[in-house]
Amino acid sequence: MKKIIEKAKFADFVGTLLSDYEVFAPVKNENGLVLFSRISSPEEIFLDFRNSKKPPKEFLFPQVETLFEYEPGKVKVPSVEAIAQRRLFLCVRPCDVKSFLILDEVFDTEEFQDVYYVTRRRNTTILAMGCVDPPSTCFCTTFDEMGPFSREGADAFLVDIGDRFLIETLTERGESLPLESLPDASDEDVQTAEDVEKKAVEKVDRKLELSKLGEKLDGMFESPFWDALHEKCLTCGVCTYLCPTCHCFDISDEALDSKGRRVRNWDSCMFPLFTLQASGHNPRPTSKERMRQRIMHKFNYFYKNYGVYACVGCGRCVENCPVNLDIRKVLEGILSL
Amino acid sequence: MEVEAKIREKAKELLESKAVDVVIGFEKGTLPLRSTPAFIRDSSETDRLVWNSFCENNLATYLNKLKGQKVAIVAKGCDSRSVVALAVERQIKREDVFVIGVPCRGMLDRRRIEEAVGFEILSALESDGKLVVKSVDSERTLDREDFLFPSCRSCRHRNPVIYDFLAGEKVEESEVDEFELVREFESKPPEERWEYFKKAFEDCLRCYACREACPFCYCEECFVDSSRPKWIEKGLDETDVQIWHIVRAYHHAGRCVDCGACERACPMGIDLRFLTQKLNKDVKELFGFETGLDPSVQPPLSTFSLQDPDDFK
Amino acid sequence: MNPYLPRLAKIEKIKIETEDKMLKTFELSFLDESERKKFDFKPGQFCEISVFGKGEAPFGIASSPTEDGPIMFTVNKAGVVTTALHNLYEGDIVGLRGPLGNSYPIELFKGKNIVIVGGGFAFTTLRALTVYMLDNRGEFGEITVVYGARTPGMFLYKEELSDWERRDDLKLYLTIDKPAEGWEGKVGLVPSVLEEVAPSSEDAFAVVCGPPIMIKFTLPVLDKLGFKPEQIYTSLEMRMKCGIGKCGRCNIGHLYVCKDGPVFSYAQLRELPMEY
Repeated sequence: MKKIIEKAKFADFVGTLLSDYEVFAPVKNENGLVLFSRISSPEEIFLDFRNSKKPPKEFLFPQVETLFEYEPGKVKVPSVEAIAQRRLFLCVRPCDVKSFLILDEVFDTEEFQDVYYVTRRRNTTILAMGCVDPPSTCFCTTFDEMGPFSREGADAFLVDIGDRFLIETLTERGESLPLESLPDASDEDVQTAEDVEKKAVEKVDRKLELSKLGEKLDGMFESPFWDALHEKCLTCGVCTYLCPTCHCFDISDEALDSKGRRVRNWDSCMFPLFTLQASGHNPRPTSKERMRQRIMHKFNYFYKNYGVYACVGCGRCVENCPVNLDIRKVLEGILSL
Repeated sequence: MEVEAKIREKAKELLESKAVDVVIGFEKGTLPLRSTPAFIRDSSETDRLVWNSFCENNLATYLNKLKGQKVAIVAKGCDSRSVVALAVERQIKREDVFVIGVPCRGMLDRRRIEEAVGFEILSALESDGKLVVKSVDSERTLDREDFLFPSCRSCRHRNPVIYDFLAGEKVEESEVDEFELVREFESKPPEERWEYFKKAFEDCLRCYACREACPFCYCEECFVDSSRPKWIEKGLDETDVQIWHIVRAYHHAGRCVDCGACERACPMGIDLRFLTQKLNKDVKELFGFETGLDPSVQPPLSTFSLQDPDDFK
Repeated sequence: MNPYLPRLAKIEKIKIETEDKMLKTFELSFLDESERKKFDFKPGQFCEISVFGKGEAPFGIASSPTEDGPIMFTVNKAGVVTTALHNLYEGDIVGLRGPLGNSYPIELFKGKNIVIVGGGFAFTTLRALTVYMLDNRGEFGEITVVYGARTPGMFLYKEELSDWERRDDLKLYLTIDKPAEGWEGKVGLVPSVLEEVAPSSEDAFAVVCGPPIMIKFTLPVLDKLGFKPEQIYTSLEMRMKCGIGKCGRCNIGHLYVCKDGPVFSYAQLRELPMEY
């Protein structure tokens, strides 16, 4: 169904959501950063943003997650109920929604199901929002069926058409949102939304042609391309931590005397310790090997394993890399070889 | 731009004569308001080098990765101090580094510029102290002086303190009180200072961009990565994050040249310098020492003399 | 079933294997006996052993599925977890996750001649494989084992080795680096001893585990003897954390050592980037 929410009534709508779900929406924090956060009142929402600084993946895959607690002779499993509340992600962008589908490939496999991620994922309803004015750092249209208005993975979809939102339900979960009292969208509304969508899609014109990418990368492991590329990379974790699809993690035990917990923390293949072995041998000793791994993993290995690139074109790494190492330029470089 | 032409010419000369293996400078970035580090090894590519108000990185951090090679580096005042200090700390050999010094009027803070204009900037043009920024359908002209990075506003070393070649006319140094904000902060009561500190580091991601951007974080194993002993955990526990930053600041006491690279690298916009500035001020007052100015002076925390202040008897 | 949760296990027995005391064999039994029945593993697989508070590390299973009772692992003291393990006593409790990874291709090996080449303390899963084959002797052809250690005191599983020496359905060649008093076996590095022994490559598979330098020089010998890359298997090691292909760190190309390995054939490795 297609309904209308007047912007003046949006707060009311969010209010009804808050009584049914734990709602995670974009807010502007005290330091001026736009981040997704759990809200307790509609006033907290901040919608004048291109995209959040950090991707919302942290609400499915937290940066720090206790796997279990232990004490002598006992391993205390965390209660799944504690992470199984009904949640709603509000106003997430299509690129971030797509990233959840990509993370699903890793965490929700038949052989080993990551119960922490899967529990949250299965209890989360996604109310996505189209990008009316995508910034120039976006390149989502590069990827198959992706774009600023891609509905893939969303349960319902919001389009900003001026003084109102058009809300479109896409799945059963979307249908179960509290929309009954809302007016239906008129044909005019629908047309306006289509026009807005068309304009937005045209704007994301930094579209890379990726069909030959896998082939090129396959032969490139020993290529001198990596020698020049990696030099300015600082091997920090900015690109990894701000990437919606990066999912590598570290596991460590935090002990206090004989009790403690085992946690998993976000980790980055760019860090020196990532592949360091106890013998001192490190298969990826310098930024060259690590940069190569990052690109190969996202655009070759992940594609081989799951049929999808581990990138959604959100542009966060482009915007935030301290040395302006631009992944779009890297891909264009590879494609031109 | 004159300075740019001089940098290119010198770089070409150095590479052609094989005086250096690589020239580290800046080239055009892929976004407006950005330049990006460039590593030029071929004398035919020196036209890639640029010089503008977006050359914000401290290139001296790369010297730690290029040991053994002969390197030319484009260095602003703060960067040149890094070169001096790295040589004093014996991380580089002064004779292996050719400093192309560039007098600097400060770099422009793109995040503040974007916030001020409110639209997405698609192109930017500098001239005569003005910055013209444009989007598809809007344009604004800004005074560059209003948008300098905080570290540039309190900079007292705009001209390189050492150089093998000076790529432009020296500029007048500022008489600014570099520790004005530190003094203001110091005057606050401890509770307020603690609150500020707590709040400032709430957004820290432990991405270590600050560490990697800094020329003086060159330890082969950073203390946060040590497992024997494990000093702090790797997560976002408040105390772990706070200890990371406090210890890092202390590791830089008397070594930090206040270039601001850490602050600019931080994706979350954390005010990193208030810790290191305070420690720099303390070192200056207690030991009369400022790093990176005199290649013959040893840093006070690596040496001792019988004349050291001794007011804790 | 949460794949990150270890089950509790007791250290039944600790044996110091090598004269430098850097290698110890641990025999572990699940606190919950029903876990042992469910623990169905094949030679070549590994487990993640936890020392709670210190961490977890992967270890190849040294015992064979044909051996009832505690499960055996041999641990080299190298880092935080292995040092912590070495400091434990019989009766202490550890965590155990597994069996993980793939195994040696037993089905392919059936009816064939198997050449096992091991160096130093990489022999752990080779023990599992050899014992398995000996316990199912009729299913396999000739079994040749070439095992080299630096000195006589550095061999693992000395009891098993002396048992195997006495058997006539297995050819065992032990070698040490330099002559030693009282040693009457072969002297020389594994690749040269292998060349000397010259097992036939016809209808045969070779399994090679050892330090990179040994592997580097053993492969050309196998090649000379006529072994094709599809006939040569090895078990790789990598820094591991989750052990189930999610944390992203143990990959070689698009394969994960923990999930698609640790056993790989050389035919497979040839197609993968040399990043290990």
